[in-house]
Amino acid sequence: MKPTYFYKSAFVLAILGMAACKPTIDSEVKPSKGSADFSRYIAIGNSLTSGFADGGLYLEGQQNSFPLMIANQMKTVGGGDFATPFFPADKANGSGYLKLTALTNNVPTIAPETSNLAVRAQVGGVNFLIRYTGEINNYGVPGIQLLYAQVAGYGRANPYYERLLTDATLDTKYLDFVTAKPFTFFSNWLGNNDVLGYATAGATGAAPTPKATFTALYQQVTDKLTSNGAKGVVATIPDVTKVAYFNTVTLKTLLAAINATPAGASVTTIYIQTGTGAVRAATAADKFTLPLSSDGVMGKPNAALQPYGLDPRNPVESKYVLDPAEIVVVNDYISSYNASIKSIANAKGLAIVDAYALLNEYGAGKWVNGVFVNADFIKGNLFSLDGIHLTPLGYAITANAFINAINSKYGSSIPTVDVTNYRGVKFP
Amino acid sequence: MKKILLSFLLAVPVLGFSQSFQVNLQGQKQTAMGGAGAGVALDEASVFFNPGAISFLKQNGVQAGAHAIMLKTAFNASGSNVTEYNKNKIPTPFAAYAVFGSPENRLRFGLGVYTPFGGAMHWQENWTGKYTVTSLDLRAIYIQPTLSLKISDNVGIGGGLVYALGHVDLKKALPYSNNGQQTTAQLKGDSKDFGWNAGIFIKTISGVSIGVTHRSQVTAKVEGGEANFFNAPASVQPSLPSSFDATLPLPATSTVGFGFYPSEKTTIALDVNWVWWHAYKDLTFYYNNNTSTPSARNYHDAATFRVGIQNETTSFLTLRAGAGYALSPVGTGYVTPEVPDADRVLLSAGIGLKPSARFNIDFSFLYENVKARTETNIESGLSGTFKTVAYIPGMALSYKF
Repeated sequence: MKPTYFYKSAFVLAILGMAACKPTIDSEVKPSKGSADFSRYIAIGNSLTSGFADGGLYLEGQQNSFPLMIANQMKTVGGGDFATPFFPADKANGSGYLKLTALTNNVPTIAPETSNLAVRAQVGGVNFLIRYTGEINNYGVPGIQLLYAQVAGYGRANPYYERLLTDATLDTKYLDFVTAKPFTFFSNWLGNNDVLGYATAGATGAAPTPKATFTALYQQVTDKLTSNGAKGVVATIPDVTKVAYFNTVTLKTLLAAINATPAGASVTTIYIQTGTGAVRAATAADKFTLPLSSDGVMGKPNAALQPYGLDPRNPVESKYVLDPAEIVVVNDYISSYNASIKSIANAKGLAIVDAYALLNEYGAGKWVNGVFVNADFIKGNLFSLDGIHLTPLGYAITANAFINAINSKYGSSIPTVDVTNYRGVKFP
Repeated sequence: MKKILLSFLLAVPVLGFSQSFQVNLQGQKQTAMGGAGAGVALDEASVFFNPGAISFLKQNGVQAGAHAIMLKTAFNASGSNVTEYNKNKIPTPFAAYAVFGSPENRLRFGLGVYTPFGGAMHWQENWTGKYTVTSLDLRAIYIQPTLSLKISDNVGIGGGLVYALGHVDLKKALPYSNNGQQTTAQLKGDSKDFGWNAGIFIKTISGVSIGVTHRSQVTAKVEGGEANFFNAPASVQPSLPSSFDATLPLPATSTVGFGFYPSEKTTIALDVNWVWWHAYKDLTFYYNNNTSTPSARNYHDAATFRVGIQNETTSFLTLRAGAGYALSPVGTGYVTPEVPDADRVLLSAGIGLKPSARFNIDFSFLYENVKARTETNIESGLSGTFKTVAYIPGMALSYKF
C-alpha cells in the first residue's frame, strides 16, 4: 500500500500548494510621480475647491473636497500632508446647509440645518465664521471670483476668506496669501463665480467680469503660480446653464403644480419679465431658477389681487428667469473665459481639466461602476441639494478627471479614487 | 507507456473545460481526462456524457462524487493601484449516477443527479463593483432518468428526461445608506423546469468509437422570487418591490466525441462541445411594482476542445491526464463581475484506485487558468481587469454489481 500513500500525499500537497496562489494582474497601476513634484500641493479656487455642498460649507463637505481626494492619492507618489481648514467637530455644520428631510410621492422637503454652526458673529446680515489657524493646503474660498484674487481688503467682504486670516492680515490679497509659502504643485479652478452669480440671479446681478479683464487676470494669476517653477493643473468653467439649479423648475412643472390646485386648474400660461423688462408668456426655452420654487411666490396675489406669475401685470420677476437672450450671454462669457484658460494654461505647459465637457458628459447621464449619474435634481447623484455644487460622488468623479489630466501631462501614475466610496444625495 | 503519455501531452496544444457559469465536473474520470467522455463508455457518468454509451458498459454500478472549486479571481479597476480579490468560498458541486439492467440485455437503465450549471462568486461587501454585484450563488441540479438501447452490437442510442432544480441568490449594494449602513438588495428564487439529454454511441470496425450527444436547453424560470432590501432609507422604501420574476436560459450543448484505444490498457478521449449560448440574450428581472431591470448579455455560441488519456498501469492503479481549451461566449463590453469570463486553459490529472474488483476510488484535479481580460462593461461602466484561476480537486466512490 505504500505507493497509494505516496500518491495520496503528493496529491494533497499539490492541491494545498496551488490553492494558496492568488492570481496577479500586470496592468495594475504602479504609482510614480513622473516629471512633477507633489511634495507640497496647494488647491486654489472657489466653493467647488473648498468642498461646498448643499448650499453650505460644512465638515463633511470639506472632508469630501476633490483636492483632499487628489492629495490622498498623491501620497502614493511622494505627496506630503494636505491640510484643510476644517471646522471643529463640535461646530461641524459650519455655515449651515440644506438637508432633504422628506421625499413623499417624489415631492422633496428641504430644510436648513441650523445646529452646531461655526458662526462667531453676525454683522450686518453677514455670518462671520470661527477663525481657522494652522497649516492650509486647500485654499478654496466659496464665492471668490478671479476678479477678487488680487483685491486688497477682500478678506473684509467674504467670511469664508476672513476665517482663514487674522485681524492683522485682513487686507492680504488672496493670491499673495496662497503663495506665501513655497509649493511644488497647484490646482487652480478659479473663474466660475465671474459668471455664475450673474446667471443664478437670473442675469439681474452684477455683470460678468469683462472678457479682456478675465484674460489679463488669469494670465497674472498663472504667472504668479508658476513663477517659482511649480507645475500644476487648471480647470475650465462648467456649463452653468446645464446645472440642476436651472433645469428642475420648468414651465411644465410650474403649470402642473398650479393646475393641481382647485383655483388654478384652467391656467395655461405663465407670465415672465425678461431681461429687457418686457413681459411675455413663458416658453419651454426659458430656464427658471430653483428659488422660484423654494421661495413659494407662485400664485401669490399682490395688492391688486393679481396672482404672481399668472397675470401679465404681476409676472415672474427677471431674477427667477434666464431667458434665451440671457442664456446666449452667459454661454458667450463662459466660452470666452474657457478659451482664455486653455490658451494660457497651454502656453505654460499646465495640465487642463475640461470641466465644461466633463460635467456635460456626466450630466447627460452615465453609469459609473453601477451607479447612474445625471444632472437631475436629487435623483441624479451628481448635484447636491443646492443644484449647483456637487455631491461627494460628483467631487470624486471630478478628482479622477484632475488625476487623469495630471497623469497624462506629467507622465505620472497617480492612482484614481474609487468613486463608489462616495455618496450621492443623502435620502431620509 | 509513460513516454507515450508524456509525448502526447506535449504534442497536443492545451485544450478546454468550462465556460461562463457552465460547470463541467460531472465525473471524476472524465474531469481527470480534460472533461472528455462523449465518445467512450467509461463508467456510470455516461448517463451525463452520452446516454447512448450506457448500453455498452460492461458492468452495472453506482457512483457518487464531488468537487471542491477553489476560485481565485482578482480585479484591478482601471487607473487604480489596488487589486481586489473575491472571498474564499468553496462550492462543492456533486454528481451521482446509477446504471441498472442486465449487461447481457440490449436495454439498460440509468439515473443521474448532477450539477451542470452553477457558480459562487463572493466579493467583499465594499468592493469597487459593489453596485453591480456583491455575491452570486447559482446552481442547477439536473435529475435525469435514462434509457439506453443497444440497437446492434456496434450502435447504441439513449435518452433521458431532465428535471432541473434551479436556485439563484444574487446580492448587491444600492447607492443609498441609512444611519451610515449601506443599503443592499437580495434577489432569491427557485425554479423547476424540464429538458432532455440524448446520444448515439458507435463502435466502428476500425476500433475507434464515436459519440454524438445533445443536451437540450433548460429555460429556468423563477416566478415569485423574493426581493429583499436591507437598510433602505424610509423615503426610498415605498418604491421598492418585494418579489420578482426572471428567466435564465441554461444553454443546450452539442458534443462530438471520439475514443481511441492504442492498447488494451490505454484509452484516449477527444471531445468537441458546442454550447448554444446565444440563447442568453439578456437577464431581466421583472418586479411586482411594475418595474423591470433589463440587462443585456448577448452571449454567442462557443466551442470547447477537450482531450484526455487514461492508462491502466496496474490492476490496482489507473493514471489519467487531460487538457482543454474553452472559448468564452462573452463578447466585448459584456463581462460582468459575477461571471468574469474569458478564454481559458485547462489542465487535469487523476488517479483511479481499485482496492477490490467491485469498489473503485477515483481522484481528479483540475487547474483552470482564465485569461486576464480588461473591459469596460457597457451597462454598469465598471472598468478594469479580471484574472481568474481555479483549483478543483475531486473524489468519487463507485461500486459495481
